[in-house]
Amino acid sequence: MVTIQKESAAMEKLKNSKRIETLKKKMLDEERFASIEQAKIITRVYQENETLSTPLKRALALKTCLEELEISVEPEELIVGNRSKGVRAGIVFPESGLRWVNEEFETLPTREQDRFSVHPGDIETFRTEIYPYWHGNSMEDVISREYGPEISAMSKVVKINQKDHAQGHICPDTELWLKKGPAGLIELAKENAKNHPGNPDFYQSVIWTLEGAQTFMRRYADLLRKTAEESPEHAQDLNDLAEICESLAIRPAQTFHEALQSLWFLYTILHMESNASSFSPGRMDQYLWPYYEKDIREGRIDRQKALELIEALWLKFNQIVYLRNAHSAKYFAGFPIGFNIAIGGEDENGNDIYNDLSLLFLDAQYDLGLPQPNLSVRLNKNSSHELMQRAIEVVARGSGMPQFFNDEAIIKPLENLGIEEKDARNYAIVGCVELTTQGNNLGWSDAAMFNMNKALELDLNHGKCLLNGEQLGPDYGGLEDYETFEDLEEAFRRTLDYFIDEMMEAEKVVEKAHQNCLPSAFLSSVIDDCLVKGVDVTAGGAKYNLSGIQMIQAANLADSFAAVKELVFDEKKIGKEELINAIQNNFEGNEGAIIQTMLLKKAPKYGNDVKWVDELGSKWAKYFRNRMRDYTNYRGGPYHTGMYTVSAHVPMGENLGAGADGRKAKEPLADGGMSPAYGRDLEGPTAVLKSVSRLYNECTTNGGLLNMKFLPEFFKTQTGRDKFENFLRAFVDLKIPHIQFNVVSREDLLDAKAHPERHQSLTVRVAGYTAYFVELAGKLQDEIIERTSYAEI
Amino acid sequence: MPKSEALVFDIKRFAVHDGDGLRTTVFFKGCPLRCRWCQNPEGLEAKRQPVYLKSQCIHCHRCEKAAKAGQLKWKDEKLLLSRESAESFGAIVDACPSGAIRYDSKPWSIDELIEKIREDEVFFRHNGGVTFSGGEPLMQGEFLDEILKACKKEGIRTAIETSSFGDHELVTKIAPSLDRIFCDIKILDPKKHKEATGQDNTLILKNTRWLLSSEEHRDKVIIRTPLIPGYTADDENIAAIASWISEIDPDVKYELLNYNPLAPSKYEMVQKTYRAGNHQPFSEQEMEHFRNVAREHGVYNIIEE
Repeated sequence: MVTIQKESAAMEKLKNSKRIETLKKKMLDEERFASIEQAKIITRVYQENETLSTPLKRALALKTCLEELEISVEPEELIVGNRSKGVRAGIVFPESGLRWVNEEFETLPTREQDRFSVHPGDIETFRTEIYPYWHGNSMEDVISREYGPEISAMSKVVKINQKDHAQGHICPDTELWLKKGPAGLIELAKENAKNHPGNPDFYQSVIWTLEGAQTFMRRYADLLRKTAEESPEHAQDLNDLAEICESLAIRPAQTFHEALQSLWFLYTILHMESNASSFSPGRMDQYLWPYYEKDIREGRIDRQKALELIEALWLKFNQIVYLRNAHSAKYFAGFPIGFNIAIGGEDENGNDIYNDLSLLFLDAQYDLGLPQPNLSVRLNKNSSHELMQRAIEVVARGSGMPQFFNDEAIIKPLENLGIEEKDARNYAIVGCVELTTQGNNLGWSDAAMFNMNKALELDLNHGKCLLNGEQLGPDYGGLEDYETFEDLEEAFRRTLDYFIDEMMEAEKVVEKAHQNCLPSAFLSSVIDDCLVKGVDVTAGGAKYNLSGIQMIQAANLADSFAAVKELVFDEKKIGKEELINAIQNNFEGNEGAIIQTMLLKKAPKYGNDVKWVDELGSKWAKYFRNRMRDYTNYRGGPYHTGMYTVSAHVPMGENLGAGADGRKAKEPLADGGMSPAYGRDLEGPTAVLKSVSRLYNECTTNGGLLNMKFLPEFFKTQTGRDKFENFLRAFVDLKIPHIQFNVVSREDLLDAKAHPERHQSLTVRVAGYTAYFVELAGKLQDEIIERTSYAEI
Repeated sequence: MPKSEALVFDIKRFAVHDGDGLRTTVFFKGCPLRCRWCQNPEGLEAKRQPVYLKSQCIHCHRCEKAAKAGQLKWKDEKLLLSRESAESFGAIVDACPSGAIRYDSKPWSIDELIEKIREDEVFFRHNGGVTFSGGEPLMQGEFLDEILKACKKEGIRTAIETSSFGDHELVTKIAPSLDRIFCDIKILDPKKHKEATGQDNTLILKNTRWLLSSEEHRDKVIIRTPLIPGYTADDENIAAIASWISEIDPDVKYELLNYNPLAPSKYEMVQKTYRAGNHQPFSEQEMEHFRNVAREHGVYNIIEE
């Protein structure tokens, strides 16, 4: 065991400061605007430099933005930097695609979800100066021209992603950035350029963006000094921070405060360059430790000051949001952008490590309760009681954070993907649950979402869509044609193969377009091997070049297969024609309702620890995963798979007709990715874990997602929290990659009362036993709702 | 029923209130007592019965087609099932697409039950394991003895929740196979006990005395009293119980269980009437008062959740 790096002093929980409260309030009160400022600058730079190569144009555009974009600071701030003057602005970003902005600009202030105000005149400027230049020339247009009809033909089965925005979900080498700073990286670029005389544009583009970064930092120093003059009561702190910004332009970070500020500049600029979702800081408790430890040792800061600085950074993580179109905003509501931070876990030598920063990060979340950063605790067999208990206290607050990852389920499968042991042990999380190595990987998470349930639908119905009768895939037969269950499985296999081929063609087109339209020099400077190889990250410069495909959704697939196998083929309780009629008619009518009820109630379901049912899901996920080995992505790396839908189970369900699992047409699929379908897990949380553990971990190297609900009551006593720790340790032993907890609130219970069908498996303690909430009498439900309200957050 | 089978009306995994750690609780069907406040009325009858859950029914009437004469009838939107020859309801249970008509319990063999318990073995760390409850597990004594021994053989920690109303030989026989024994003493006064539960408490007190006197077993025992207004929850009763148990074993562990207002709802489901009145749970101050009464009468080792 390594020595645990933490203070031996009492680990009392600290409270946030008045300064943080003020900043938090200011941030939440500020009106959100859509901003076209960056789009104007980028358009102008492109227009004035038509003869430059795309990498140089892109780099120059970023450099100009860093020099010109309006900036602001608050007098109370301890960490500064943003990519727009206002906080939480929605950035209109031209190079990847503007079609949806053109169509939806007017509706931004009034749409249902994620509204943005619009500055007067911006829409006109957008339509006259910006959109005409990019229309037909942006990345989305290139992809449309090359493969548009094919992509749309497969869209109900395979949704190809990243067609109109840059690829995010990247964990840059923050440690390198902290140790070098922009000045050091310019030197590194110049040195490496000597080895690659044939590729001057790449290095020039890197140097331009880094020079832009230096200017950006100096501009903040100037503004801070000016603000200090206007706010005498904060002058000392503001001038100190100005000094920090100015220093960071020319030398690496030296103190904890400098490291946090330097880190935030990095992430601000990465977002400015790519406007993509999820650049994640990864294992911050590890690489920030030397700065923290030194400052504490030398008395420069104490824990309270450190917490204030951390919370100041936490606030910044909430100030960059991602402008999505209305459709996407509905499913990714609340601007999630995925500053994911990994806490604890194995080090490069396989020892479990955590430190005082790990605990402070959790304290900051406990205090602030904001949506960002997304905290992920890495567990393993040697995880400490202290870290787990602190994490459980935060879980009990009900924000759904932290989520938990399992080293025992993740490291080996990553190695099997060709990742070196030390890199695999050093894995981090990007975005929501996507796994990555740190600082050296373009993981291309969520390259596509493959709706396996749609494939099964086609195999029951001669390749035709149940919703509109359209011929979506080849006709390998219909249910009435199959003599045996195995015949159905064989048709399913062929349909998977057919669409996997289609998908891979589309993937090539998309990746090529990114390479041609969105080279990313600044990002390349902090992804290992790009500078050494002289290759942009979009072109394969990273040490690891993965592509992750999502398999949607094992739970419904297993349930459908199990129902057909048991009720149609084995027990013959439902005739083939009967089932086909029922799903074609969406279970309408008396007979339809009876068939649906039998499918739901008379066949076993995934999530109840029934081995043969669970294996019907895991076996097909494994088949799909193995097929990925036959392909190589456009950057020369391997494909792999993930099982996380986040919220895509809703739109993916909308694409489906009625299912053999008893699901009505257009209803959502199971949530999460590895979770059982709503209300079908009737054996409790331990049975769910057992079922989920039957999925193969090689299927979730891009990430897996398991959601669970608990009542706040469970966490009230130390005995309860200890039992919860037992549960988490069993999760580790069962080698399940991921779990997150929804600690159910009063609202959930009210919803369960109003819509029992959605909460079939919500259990509550009634007497000496636990019961299903929805099976209790209304009055009793009211009593339980009252009883639980004390735990409301 | 063959001896190697037991009638079980429920098996709850992830039971967190029936002993240490995470547990699987097995509810045996049948109870010799008829406590007016019983929380598990569905576990009282010692035989297998078909039940009808109205909330699950889709009114397809497939049951009628599968039924033989007199087995069931619909009356004012309610389905009445005949109480005779439960086993012959197989065809009806099978025909019901929703599971609204089902058996209230199921016979389990030793092997089946061990396999079921072992499903959650990975969760049984830190003293977790299996708890046998009911109903009254002592009512199916031979099976209980056998399953406890089988659990021990598998290295699974065991607990029992019992009224202690059972054959004394049986209690002495199974005690060595148990790691935790929860015994109720509801009312000390024999007459009142009989009024409230339908049974005299002589046997209960005899078994409890033996357990608390035993060097080997007394540490495993936790005595519990459910606080039921009008029946058990008065100073006199608590004082009497506390004096009685602490005289036998001064280190006795004692737990007072707060009144549970939610039990009555379960009676609707089994078409029975709740006969203990409607009350609120006791406040923390009232609970502390009862604990103090116990302390004043010799019990210092009081378990609080």
